[in-house]
Amino acid sequence: MDFAFLSVVELGRLLRAKKTTAAELAAYFLDRLERIGPRYNAVVTVTRDRALAEAAQADREIHQGIGRGPLHGVPYGVKDLIATKDYPTTWGAEPYRQQKLDADATVVERLGAAGAVLVAKLAMVELAGGMGYNQPNASFTGPGKTPWNPGYWSGGSSSGPSAAVAAGLVPFAIGSETSGSILTPAAYCGVTGLRPTYGLVSRHGAMALAWTMDKLGPLARSAEDCAIVLQAIVGRDPKDPSSVARGFHMPAPQATQRFRIGVPKGADKDIQAEVAANFRAALKVLGDRVDIVEDVELPDLPYGAVAGLIIAAEGASAFDDLLKDGRLSQLTAPEDRTGGYPALAVSAPDYLRALRVRRPMQRALDDFLKKFDALAVPTRTTVATPLDKSFRDGWPGVTGGANVIGPTNVVGVPGVSVPNGFGVQGLPTGLSFTARAFDEAKLVTLARLYQSRSDWHTRRPPID
Amino acid sequence: MEISRREFAERLALVAAAPWFLEDLKPAQQQQAQEPSALAKALTEAVRLRYPDRFTVDDLTAITRSIDGRLRAIERLYQTTLTNADEPDFVYSVYRGAD
Repeated sequence: MDFAFLSVVELGRLLRAKKTTAAELAAYFLDRLERIGPRYNAVVTVTRDRALAEAAQADREIHQGIGRGPLHGVPYGVKDLIATKDYPTTWGAEPYRQQKLDADATVVERLGAAGAVLVAKLAMVELAGGMGYNQPNASFTGPGKTPWNPGYWSGGSSSGPSAAVAAGLVPFAIGSETSGSILTPAAYCGVTGLRPTYGLVSRHGAMALAWTMDKLGPLARSAEDCAIVLQAIVGRDPKDPSSVARGFHMPAPQATQRFRIGVPKGADKDIQAEVAANFRAALKVLGDRVDIVEDVELPDLPYGAVAGLIIAAEGASAFDDLLKDGRLSQLTAPEDRTGGYPALAVSAPDYLRALRVRRPMQRALDDFLKKFDALAVPTRTTVATPLDKSFRDGWPGVTGGANVIGPTNVVGVPGVSVPNGFGVQGLPTGLSFTARAFDEAKLVTLARLYQSRSDWHTRRPPID
Repeated sequence: MEISRREFAERLALVAAAPWFLEDLKPAQQQQAQEPSALAKALTEAVRLRYPDRFTVDDLTAITRSIDGRLRAIERLYQTTLTNADEPDFVYSVYRGAD
């Protein structure tokens, strides 16, 4: 049976109907990871022994009538900044290639409790891009490649999770986002990515880049699958003081409400023509269920300055050992080898100023977002960057678009990206929705509505 | 699309924060960047003195540019009005272990 591109929902249905077993699914995806994964530089470690053991346990439980929910027996992968005992956790970076951590991250524990089966540690941009990479080749596993056209980047920094889901190597994966690292690769690989509100998912056991901005979230084939995964991983964790006790409940599939959607000024101006056309077509698909408010403007605040200072200062502190002993020189991308040093010139008062400015920024952005159910923008202004080009030179001349990823990451509100068509070189494009803090259910409802009226998320890249 | 000097500084700061924003900048716009300030050069020298044997001339040029961009972005932080009562967005919690 061809399991590769089935959704979490479909795989769960087969498991519960005993038309397959967790062991069969694990073996199937382990084989694909080993056979196809290297084509896209998507995999760091295949966790075969652990996967087979977890799958056997899931089968025993299912046989005994013990149900752990919709992920029971379903394989998954994690970005290799998420700690797992017994396997290396490399952070995508040569200095940590042999690193072994002695406990599972909370997100892995929670997925284990939900009966999911860990099959792989997936590739990523070194140190989640925190040292300022400027090109696709920024990982010791090589540049992530999108399965839609391997001459182009998968996006980053969750490069492996997105490419692995797109190529049918795992049904879902966990990625991380500090500023764009789930939504960007989701768009470039044509999968669905959900960035939760900061604090909704415990960061314990995940590599820190910027403590006050890092988020973990799912990448999968659909918004429904992302929601199922999110439901399993949310919640307060005493090991992560920033985590919150708010849950997440799957919204009703047949929601009938109308959505008020803000489209930021310039969102589809001076961007790639296909990206702009796909964006407008997607809004049209939602047609009767949305009221579009055009040309809305985010509060004029220094989002970039705040993000820049926070990521620089927190990143330099998180990796101060690498800065001190000079092991940054072992990183793959040349610009990453010096990218951490400018942060040594950030003064403490300036960093604290950024943290102080962020508070009124949060209020201003919340006041703005509450006027809408969501903002809609093209996730990226272009399709994926060619592998052999720097980001600057990838698509010269594209200067427009509305920057929503940056501001919304600074304040920590959620976002979702869904595939909405294809652009040049057969590369996918993405549509993003962003909402107020803890409005994930609204985002999922909106994304599901779009996916119930389109089939972009069911398309398969030319692999086999 | 023309962008203002302030917007350019904002974008430059985003580049420093997250390089995927680079695609939003035209090469011509990047060339509009000013000669690095004396402060940026001095701060680069401080970094060099911390690790005197570590950097090439090209490395130091890149570090200077990055510091300069961030310094210009920081100016905007101080245009946002704050009072003495505006605290950072984290809360320190006192700890008391088991008796």
